Amino acid sequence: MAFVKLNDLEIEVEDGTNVVEAARQHGIEVPHYCYHQGLSRPANCRMCLVEPHVFFPPAGAIVPDRQLATGCTTVLRTAPPDRKLDGKYDFIVRTDSERVKKARADILEFLLVHHPLDCPVCDQAGECDLQDYSHRHGHDKSRYLEVKNVPPKKDLGPDVLLYATRCVVCTRCIRFADEVSGTGELGLVHRGSHDEIDIPRSHEGVPLQVLDNKLAGNVVDICPVGALISKDFLFKSRPWFLEKANSVCSGCSVGCNITVEYKADGVYRLKPRFHEDINQHWMCDDGRLGYHYVNSDDRLQLPLKRVDDALTPTHWADALATITEKLSEIETEDIVVIGSAQGTNEDNYVLQQFAHDVLKTTQLGLFGHLPGEAHKFPQFTIEADKNPNTAGARTILGSTNGNTVLEGDALWEKVSSAKVVYLVSGAPERPLEDAEKAALESVDFLIVQDVLPSEVTQFADVVLPGTTFAEKDGTFTNSTGWVQRIRKTIDPPGEARVDWEITQQLAKQLGGEMNYHFAGEIALEIAENVPGYADATHQKIGDAGIKLADSTQ
Amino acid sequence: MVEERRILYEHLDVPDINTFDVFRQYDGYTRFEKAITEYQPDDIAKMVMDSGLKGRGGAGFSTGLKWSFVPRDIKPCYLCCNADESEPGTFSNRYVLEKNPHLLIEGILICCYAMGIETTYVYIRGEFTLGKKMLDAAIKEAYEKGYLGKDIRGTGLNIDIYTHPGAGAYICGEETGLIESLEGKRGQPRNKPPFPAVEGVFGKPTVVQNVETLCNLPFIVGNGVEWYTQMGPTYADTRANPPTPDPNTGTKLYCISGDVNEPGVYELDLGLTCSELIEVAGGLRGEEVKAVIPGGSSAPILTHYELDTRLDFTSLTLAKSMLGSGGIIVMNETRNIVDCLLNIMKFYAHESCGQCTPCRWGTPWVRDIVQRIADGDGRKSTMTRPKFGVAENGRWGDTGETEEIYEDLDLLESVANNIANVDTMTWNTICVFGIAVSWPAVSYLRKFRPEFEAAIREGKLVTLPVAEATVPPEENYAYQQRFIPKEFADL
Repeated sequence: MAFVKLNDLEIEVEDGTNVVEAARQHGIEVPHYCYHQGLSRPANCRMCLVEPHVFFPPAGAIVPDRQLATGCTTVLRTAPPDRKLDGKYDFIVRTDSERVKKARADILEFLLVHHPLDCPVCDQAGECDLQDYSHRHGHDKSRYLEVKNVPPKKDLGPDVLLYATRCVVCTRCIRFADEVSGTGELGLVHRGSHDEIDIPRSHEGVPLQVLDNKLAGNVVDICPVGALISKDFLFKSRPWFLEKANSVCSGCSVGCNITVEYKADGVYRLKPRFHEDINQHWMCDDGRLGYHYVNSDDRLQLPLKRVDDALTPTHWADALATITEKLSEIETEDIVVIGSAQGTNEDNYVLQQFAHDVLKTTQLGLFGHLPGEAHKFPQFTIEADKNPNTAGARTILGSTNGNTVLEGDALWEKVSSAKVVYLVSGAPERPLEDAEKAALESVDFLIVQDVLPSEVTQFADVVLPGTTFAEKDGTFTNSTGWVQRIRKTIDPPGEARVDWEITQQLAKQLGGEMNYHFAGEIALEIAENVPGYADATHQKIGDAGIKLADSTQ
Repeated sequence: MVEERRILYEHLDVPDINTFDVFRQYDGYTRFEKAITEYQPDDIAKMVMDSGLKGRGGAGFSTGLKWSFVPRDIKPCYLCCNADESEPGTFSNRYVLEKNPHLLIEGILICCYAMGIETTYVYIRGEFTLGKKMLDAAIKEAYEKGYLGKDIRGTGLNIDIYTHPGAGAYICGEETGLIESLEGKRGQPRNKPPFPAVEGVFGKPTVVQNVETLCNLPFIVGNGVEWYTQMGPTYADTRANPPTPDPNTGTKLYCISGDVNEPGVYELDLGLTCSELIEVAGGLRGEEVKAVIPGGSSAPILTHYELDTRLDFTSLTLAKSMLGSGGIIVMNETRNIVDCLLNIMKFYAHESCGQCTPCRWGTPWVRDIVQRIADGDGRKSTMTRPKFGVAENGRWGDTGETEEIYEDLDLLESVANNIANVDTMTWNTICVFGIAVSWPAVSYLRKFRPEFEAAIREGKLVTLPVAEATVPPEENYAYQQRFIPKEFADL
């Protein structure tokens, strides 16, 4: 630990921490653009200048160093005993001296000379570092009278636009493409004040390579100004109108920590949230842009019932009554209950309890997206398993009450001999393979709980409208054994209900004794009954998640 | 009358000196042979340290000291010869490359032997096509004669030289910019520390030396330290306590251009005055000296009051200027300083690499302000303010008079100082390009302010008589003094 005097504070920081981080840990802002925790440090924005103090022998005193130093590259380390300042400090640094304040204001003046004053139409306004720092550290007026550079707006890739006029050339995006995604599509063209970020182009300006890697969206997040803009979010909303909730991406089994940004009418965007062991600062575009089905107009809003070979909207009482009637006349061994790898641990827990307590069946299955492609990047991985909770669902469905959980061919074999199947899907746009189709077609009475009409619902006799990750509370367990929370953001559309509530309602109608009020209550039961999940209560999981003791499960 | 002392350039005009055989006739490679037969590597390093040789590239940093920073236990270690001579007004390396390339190879060999280096990269300015051709031919010859390659002269030394042409960027003459460019990246300077001596080419310790510095080595080895230190003055460095010797030994290749009768490269002892140098170069062309740029275009300008300044590293530093690359540009009374500054600023605005904020957007801004003044569109306020200058006590203060406010001159000085502050000698940029921009801008403005004011007042470029155009040095000196904090003013 290094003992550092930071302004008037005496602080202890770990060796190797830089001044920007040390200050941030103690609530002091050192403004910066080019520095990003997850990337290398070129120190080219010069915004994080701080004032180190050194011993000056002729004066016999500790004085401000002649040069200001960049906080991002000034690393704090324990000094040898004879190099301690004032006998005890390993480092003395000020982030609030007049010299530092002047330097910041001067740098901001330079950053703004070519920057357009288009904040009113800029997507970044409200979450823009240039705006914020200008307010906090900048001059109040511009002295620049000359002609501004107006480089053209550029289309970099499927989801990324470059408003080059706004760019401060911090090169975060270039370093991201070089270091994290390893794809290196971005670079600087021209020189000096004409520096521009660009993709490789021919002399005629035809792109030779576009920014279309699976992590491309991250460059929009790390851009400190409104230069890199997501086409998906462009002109959709002002960021200050958006509510934010910490959640987990449901796109694959990595379980990237995300912030869901939403308004009452739907989810607007997903942004990655830092988690040291899972996704660091990043998320992939499949996850980032994979939320659109939540807002879809096609969402199932009412229960559907098959009348004369067509699925017809009905009301909950009718749908549940139909199911109850059917279930009560069927033998236990003819019923198969299939949980979902898209559902939360809570959904699946209630489902297995329903199967065990009410239906008395031990025939459970697990359904979800088909495996997709895995992608490996130098500092990021996208898993092939496109379900967020395969590990959790498997454990929860199977580990208690002596259940066996069937998957794949074994499951469909079982389904083809069953009379009633209760299938919780929640996987949007899930195509069915031939064997699956045949199995589902042969089922006498198929209950499907899903969020969107799909190939699965086509075979259903009753369809129950469930909810997506954005509409419910709960927990997901990722492929490495991290249990993390998702949070309800928007209300489910129409009469759709949270999946475990539907199951509980069914259970109640069939005489079960289930009375959960909220997801956290179920999590307490899981903690009590599921091996390994003893700590997985919502309070303990919090925003950071907890890692299961036995990661192999 | 001062005579030239030709050492590096002694045999420059000998026909075919660029060939091995002729070079050999004039003691070629004997100094290297002396080095490997009579001295251990550490002896050479000590000789260079004792000789007081200062790097001739611009910064004037002690070569021996630089070598001492190189960790000896990390191999490979590289030598990078900086032949990217691109400072406006400098053209001395070019003659060595074109006419006497074997001298450079011999210098490289001695340096490699002293530092245990096996690989040398010579980064040659792209425009020096002839220089590169000559050097490549000389290297080929040296390989054939067994002075390069494996097991040189049976000593077991392995030394290779590779030449690498630049692509025309001024910033690649900055040592870390050069290294980046050499590694195949964009020519953008690195943050220091780590310095190249610790982490340079391909992350290994690297000695970066100018062509002229390396060419001095054969003579230091051949003639001895004592002979070498006789040339040029040695001062006492009073910043250290107790004062240490501050040698300015050896000769320097002064590139004299501008308004002199015989412009060219002159090899002279360090420590001659400006006036003496103008004499050597055939005297002034014109009536009187208006200004002298002492060390390439980035050096602060000297006025006719300062012609007695000795042109060596220490004296020019004390005169708040620098010897830099030794590119001396003399201007006579017909030159307009605003126009000169515009010319220089156009160059720097074009050559800024654009890596860090202040330089990227500050240099074109400075250029644009000067352009506006030169175009006659400079702004002047209708208000007046108290005039600050040399007060009665001889220090900077309120003179009791009022002055007109020239907004654009204030702006020019402020913007230039925000890139790099010339008074405190601090820069907010990554490399010293920042100070290379603000030094000329601020020094031209302060020393020739009447001409800038005239351009704004008259709405066009006005060349004033020398006496009228120049600000007396006392006033400038007092102006500089005001920035020294009270507690250090007396140290």
